[in-house]
Amino acid sequence: MDVFGSFALLLAFLCAAYAFVGGIAAILTRHPLLVKSARQAGIATCGLIFLATASLVYLFFSDSYWVSYVVSHSNRDLSNFYKIAALWSGQEGSLLFWSFLLAVYVFSVLLVYRNKNGELMPYVGVVLAGVQIFFLTLNNFVASPFKVLAAPAANGALEIFTRADGNGLTPLLQYPEMVIHPPNLYSGYTGFTIPFAFALGALLARYPGEKWIHLTRKWTMIAWCFQTMGILLGAHWAYAVLGWGGYWGWDPVENASLLPWLTGTAFLHSVMMQEKRGMMKVWNVWLVFTTFMLCILGTLLTRSGVVSSVHAFAQSSIGNYFVGFLVLVFAVCFVAYVKNRDYLKSENQLDSMISRESSFLFNNLILLVSCIAVLSGTLFPVFSEWFSGSRISVGAPFFNKVNIPIGLLLLFLTGVGPLLAWRKTSTDSLKRNFGWPLLLGLFTGVVVFVFGVRDFFSLVCLMLCVFVTTTIGMEFFRGARVIRSRSGASFLASAVDLTMRNTRRYGGYIVHMGMVLIFVGLAGAAFNRDAQKDMQPGSTLDIGRYRLLLQGFDSKAEKNYTSERMIVEVWRDNKPLMMLYPERRFFQTNEQSGTMVAIYSTLREDLYVVYAGQNPDTQAPVIHAYLNPLVKWIWLGGLVVVLGTLVTLLPNRRAVLVLAGAPERSAAQQPQSLAPSVALREGHD
Amino acid sequence: MTKQRAAALFLVVALSSSSAALFSLPVQAQQTDRAKHIGGKFMCMCSCNQVLTQCNHVGCTVSTSMLKELDTAVARGDSETEITSAFVQEFGTKVYAEPPKSGLSLLAWSLPTIYLLLGTLLVIFVIWRWRSRAALPAVAGGAAGISPQDLENARRRVAQETED
Repeated sequence: MDVFGSFALLLAFLCAAYAFVGGIAAILTRHPLLVKSARQAGIATCGLIFLATASLVYLFFSDSYWVSYVVSHSNRDLSNFYKIAALWSGQEGSLLFWSFLLAVYVFSVLLVYRNKNGELMPYVGVVLAGVQIFFLTLNNFVASPFKVLAAPAANGALEIFTRADGNGLTPLLQYPEMVIHPPNLYSGYTGFTIPFAFALGALLARYPGEKWIHLTRKWTMIAWCFQTMGILLGAHWAYAVLGWGGYWGWDPVENASLLPWLTGTAFLHSVMMQEKRGMMKVWNVWLVFTTFMLCILGTLLTRSGVVSSVHAFAQSSIGNYFVGFLVLVFAVCFVAYVKNRDYLKSENQLDSMISRESSFLFNNLILLVSCIAVLSGTLFPVFSEWFSGSRISVGAPFFNKVNIPIGLLLLFLTGVGPLLAWRKTSTDSLKRNFGWPLLLGLFTGVVVFVFGVRDFFSLVCLMLCVFVTTTIGMEFFRGARVIRSRSGASFLASAVDLTMRNTRRYGGYIVHMGMVLIFVGLAGAAFNRDAQKDMQPGSTLDIGRYRLLLQGFDSKAEKNYTSERMIVEVWRDNKPLMMLYPERRFFQTNEQSGTMVAIYSTLREDLYVVYAGQNPDTQAPVIHAYLNPLVKWIWLGGLVVVLGTLVTLLPNRRAVLVLAGAPERSAAQQPQSLAPSVALREGHD
Repeated sequence: MTKQRAAALFLVVALSSSSAALFSLPVQAQQTDRAKHIGGKFMCMCSCNQVLTQCNHVGCTVSTSMLKELDTAVARGDSETEITSAFVQEFGTKVYAEPPKSGLSLLAWSLPTIYLLLGTLLVIFVIWRWRSRAALPAVAGGAAGISPQDLENARRRVAQETED
């Protein structure tokens, strides 16, 4: 099966090369057969990548310990569930997985638009094939996952040998979220290839109008949604597994995932300016280019060892290939832009400073500033070493200080932007839309301050959360009230109806609401506290209103590891509450240890208990407990963001007016004025 | 005040009060607060890229010894500057969790503010420029001179711009 996989990868490379060259020839000659054959080659490339990926999965499931990658990342006792995660746990497999996800997107695009947009699709196909060629080059010639173990035999020839068992999977990856977090994140990274291909294709083809934006909106939303889920699942994994009590450490690899998310978010907003007003064409094209390049840069940071990170793959020379690709992509984008920039000329006009357009400009500014601040902070250690010879670390305290004010500005705009009118917002409208939200926000600030909150940023954050929630609530309330007055339906049904009539707008509000919930959770971080203590059976540890009573220990031997658990009785306000079992696991195969944190999570706070090992001086077991307020709101917010994104992807349901009892007529026959006896019928556009 | 507004106000008051109650919990005084504060300014040197007080790798001997050293210095009554100098001398500038606000590192601190200020100026300039374009006098003629085609185009544009 390893030979089959290798062969499939090689064929995929050749097919991608044909799709690229044939696609260029098709563009130049406009020969229909060439166009078709290039597209078919693109589809074949994807099919072959699927086969290669399936081969590697099969090699894991069949315990094929003559394949180097399988030996390094699996063992016989590893459950089948984690054998799936082993696919992307190392450099070679994760690159194949990247190609696989990219192939899923490419396959879908080529299939969905096979008979549409004939002028644009050959260009898009060429760009997609170009990106696939790069990753297939890595899969085939730089980091092949199908290398076999071989040693020189007596006659000097290389002979394949099989190991009895593998080295096992890193303990940190043996956690359920590791089976879903990387696919989500990679789906985000790879998904941004589609808007990139359409943007570059449209620029090269000088494709008229904003159609490429309409075509890619859903693809961008899907990629953005995956990226969001990937980031949040990664944060949850860090929270539940790494055992340091936090969910975001501003690690370079975490930052790398945030960068394209920030520019992607900026694009999703600024693209509306182009759709509505034909503005910011150059900006939008470069935002898409930048987002894609940041995806590649993120991969470079993760895989090259340029910056140190617990999440990074082993240091290797593969980074040089990514640097080369990045330079090439930039050069192509730049040349395409210079040659066709007149195509991007737009009629940028603004009627007022206080308008939706201005809010989008500031929204983009803040997102971009945040992106540049994170990027420069991430790369600063490298630059400082170049310039001064000594590496200066930039850790979480720096990023928090820089990004918290920026995040709050963004939260403010989240509330303001949607309520500003396009072109110009009148003073009356400002009063009507922002009076209550401002009042309630300020009132919240006073109440929270009176009750003892003195952390400035948390105070402002909570005020803004109420402000934004009120603005969103008012939007739903006003719209639903109108529908309710007409239909007589319940308020909730009217709000759902309202949402379904303009899914993009109201789905966007739901996404904003999810972000508000995330910010509520982030505000709680200022009030985190922790306590650590050597414990013996019968000892207690007090933290906040909780008391932890260590009852004892137990151990159990599982197939792939042995674990030692603390049995901890939790009391709250002097009443018994529940049992928690923080544990340490020892994986025999690779002789590594891992922690399993025990968390009691409520909307108010998380009680987070870690079995932190033994005190080196006393040899007594140590318990480290954290009380983290409001963390659950972050995960709930993530769910709401995903829900909102899914709503934006739904088609609008619009009211169709028909005459009651009248026979159906063609559109031309419809009367111009509506009779009083009209009935409302729903339909999808 | 309508019922809905009253309900909304009640909800906000309830939310605010509960969050305020949450944050008013008495904070436990801990002996190692100063050590924790200072330790939060250093990185663990085990290459985990985590802040010293947050490194919780099972069996990480580096953070254990660094924290011990820190506790000893704090117990001895060393000032923060003395402790920082000792750590930098021992581990190099890599030990800083945030760049010092001097020399080349000052650039790291000032860049985000510079980006924000320059960006804001740029956006204001762009808005001003685009506004001045919009303020140019309209084509002479008035409503009577508008062709049906122009009117139709204008209607389509209005529909497009007010759809969302």
